[in-house]
Amino acid sequence: MSYQSSNPLVGEVEFALDGPWATYWIAFLRVVTGWWFFHSGFTKILTDGFAYGYGPAYMQQMSGTVLGGIPVWMGNNLAWLIEPGVPLFETLIGLALIAGALTRFAAFGGVIFMSLFWIGNAGFGHGVVNSDLMGLLLFMTVIVLAAGRYYGLDALIEQTALVKQHPKLRYLLG
Amino acid sequence: MTDIIDKAARALSAGLMLFGIAVLGLIETLAGQPFAPAPMTNEAGDVVATPLVSPEIRTGFVLAGIAVLGLYAAYRLVTPMPDDSDVRHETMAD
Repeated sequence: MSYQSSNPLVGEVEFALDGPWATYWIAFLRVVTGWWFFHSGFTKILTDGFAYGYGPAYMQQMSGTVLGGIPVWMGNNLAWLIEPGVPLFETLIGLALIAGALTRFAAFGGVIFMSLFWIGNAGFGHGVVNSDLMGLLLFMTVIVLAAGRYYGLDALIEQTALVKQHPKLRYLLG
Repeated sequence: MTDIIDKAARALSAGLMLFGIAVLGLIETLAGQPFAPAPMTNEAGDVVATPLVSPEIRTGFVLAGIAVLGLYAAYRLVTPMPDDSDVRHETMAD
């Protein structure tokens, strides 16, 4: 290692992701992100049950986005799925991330949600990097770092015979 | 082959996202107000300046970068796992 104390930018830089602080922080981010979605979904269930009417209405006004007419079409034609789906899936995504079970699969759902929130809210008055984009990046971080393997149930699930026989399941776990 | 696709996916996705966020953001900034991709209005609510690059274009680049990562994930799902794909450097749950 050619680390030079006079110029830390010269030489190799090591960032070992298996250190205790890294795993602790990845797990912490995962749980907080999960709580964020769980709270959002569960409070919708408490107030509106599984008939979240604002969901389709939100998508119906999403005209002029990069997704073209897709969100508007979904709002007009998929209300039967969106009304129960938003509170249900937000809650399940949150619980999965908190427990660290099926983490990557759940976080993929979070990416879908946050992509729609990011372009739909269109709160770009302070730039495109807003809290919605940061939330989107959090879910992607959970996927890339396989955050469920750190203090999460996926670490145990991946040791089961089922996953060992079908190792590709680790792409949805972890 | 997988290694080339890995590198291509990383480069293309990061390139698209950084282009939409940072490069077009810098151009938007250097072009003058508004510095953000939202119209500027006066106290009466009239639009006095519009962004040089529309937010649809910038969000489009970012979503395209995310789509590249999604396609890469789908590619990994349908192709045989690399020999060295065992989980390493992981900490078991206590």
